[in-house]
Amino acid sequence: MAPVITLNVIDYAIIGGYILVMILVGYSLKKYMKTGEDFFLSGRSLPGWITGLAFLSANLGALEVIGMVANSAKYGIATVHFYWVGAVLAMVFLGVFMMPFYYGSRVRTVPEYLKLRYNEATRGLNAISFAIMTILMSGISLYAMALLFNKMLGWSFHASILFAALVVLLYVFWGGLSSSIYNEVIQFFLIWLGLLPIVFLGLKQVGGFAGLTAKLHQELLHSVKYLGTSNNPLGVDWFGVAMGLGFVLAFGYWTTDFLVVQRALASKNLNSARMTPIIASFPKMLVPIIVVIPGLVALLVLPEFAPAALPTADYNSALILLMKHYLPNGLLGLAITALLASFMSGMAGNVTAFNTIWTYDIYGSYIRRGRPDAHYVKVGKWATVIGVLASVGTAYIALGFKNLMDYMQLIFSFFNAPLFATFLLGMFWKGATAWGGFWGLLAGILAAAVHYILYKTGTLSYHSEMAANFYQAWWAWLTDFLVTIGVSLFTQKRDPKELVGLVFGLTPKPKAEARWYARPAVWGTLAVGLSALLYVLFW
Amino acid sequence: MNEPIETKEPGSGMSGGHALDLKLPIGWLISAYGVLLTGYGLLTGKEMYAISLGINLNLIWGILMILIGGGFLLAVLVKKRRTKS
Repeated sequence: MAPVITLNVIDYAIIGGYILVMILVGYSLKKYMKTGEDFFLSGRSLPGWITGLAFLSANLGALEVIGMVANSAKYGIATVHFYWVGAVLAMVFLGVFMMPFYYGSRVRTVPEYLKLRYNEATRGLNAISFAIMTILMSGISLYAMALLFNKMLGWSFHASILFAALVVLLYVFWGGLSSSIYNEVIQFFLIWLGLLPIVFLGLKQVGGFAGLTAKLHQELLHSVKYLGTSNNPLGVDWFGVAMGLGFVLAFGYWTTDFLVVQRALASKNLNSARMTPIIASFPKMLVPIIVVIPGLVALLVLPEFAPAALPTADYNSALILLMKHYLPNGLLGLAITALLASFMSGMAGNVTAFNTIWTYDIYGSYIRRGRPDAHYVKVGKWATVIGVLASVGTAYIALGFKNLMDYMQLIFSFFNAPLFATFLLGMFWKGATAWGGFWGLLAGILAAAVHYILYKTGTLSYHSEMAANFYQAWWAWLTDFLVTIGVSLFTQKRDPKELVGLVFGLTPKPKAEARWYARPAVWGTLAVGLSALLYVLFW
Repeated sequence: MNEPIETKEPGSGMSGGHALDLKLPIGWLISAYGVLLTGYGLLTGKEMYAISLGINLNLIWGILMILIGGGFLLAVLVKKRRTKS
């Protein structure tokens, strides 16, 4: 099969330039990696704008971008729920209320917090399930990248996997978390620069935003208006959106997933750590510009998405077909580089989260305790090699799954959704006991599994796969929440003195607050207000 | 744990200072791309831009990227000057 897109020498120069810069950045960070904290947490030295943009980019992977353009072509403006209700609130909550406990307790990882707040068993359960999840996710990035480049550019599938894995390995091995974060920030700019030309040309061709709204079906143009029942393109009602996505999935992902929390922990002080997710929430609100508009434009300009062709359309190809439709060589290379960068940073982010959890929470806790710091740096470097090799393996496992976006949401609803209940109770209710935390978390994961089986066997049915994921997240969360409370009522309470710095109400407020214009609460309120305003505009 | 974190000096990690100013690689990469796209836009003929609605977007976008990349490099320069004086 002939490739869809043909690149020329200028495009390859742009792609090559990016890879060269990434390797150079990794290499020049090498000499700063002296201690474990340098390698795993960037020496807790980075300014808020860097950690903030990395926090956002860690989630702006290519799969996300391609998948959200596809969602926008399918569901229309309702896709904004993934950004406004599905992210901003949770990010602000993390910065304003939860970060003081994460950063303030000086833990290095999310499972480490669980150990301090609950017990060793809870940490072990979370560390092991999270390590597995990162390797699966990293493999998904690698697989999706190779598949895309094979189909669209005609590159060899196996060579793409090996080459990308090698580049990621090199720069994470040298620069640790810093390499990963730097790549994410560079990717942030590349994604915008690479995709905005499509937005401009698309809007110009269809006659601006007014042209879009005049030509498209009403149901595609409102975010909230049709949520009264699940009879809308999304197939989900308001309860599913608000509780499943807005509350459980969003809070579960943004507040407990170590992949994103790790970026905030790399900040230089508590105020920067708290500002990290809040800074990220502002560009997050704007991401629909580069995903929703192209998705809607695709419906009007691409013959593959004409009304007659829709039932068989491959929505995931919308973005690539738009690139081919609008971009001349040169800009085409830039857009491909942006996708390549986000695939690689998606993988690097997972690999750095993996090497940290492996070294601190598994190796350093259960295999070899109390070794000198340099030993753990070495282990972290080897964990990077093993993580990359394992990702190559899981990339071939991902080959067996048809719909990667659903597969990812499924993984989140298993692991992140219940974990959020454990954190919510742990941070805000001093009565949650050690074993309450453990059994609650286990019960939540099992509830997700039971729901999944009931859904797959047809006992439960929903209007769409997405609705099933939202409700699965909700039930897993609720089970964890109730079981944690139930078990806590009958098991031994922890001494409140041990919980200082870990639980709200037992921890003194940070004294040296920044001036009002640098305060997380001020910016957080502004972010929530702005996203509410956006909802009013795109009701 | 639980040490008061306010006592920690900013940037006291990473062996005493912020390792590598990220604005440098971003600035260089984006402005190099800008120069490349601008040059390519100047050298290529109109017929190539039929798909981009007749607009020579390589040229326009290239110039924009030179400005953005240059902005990052300028910020590094200003910061260096300030710390020197």
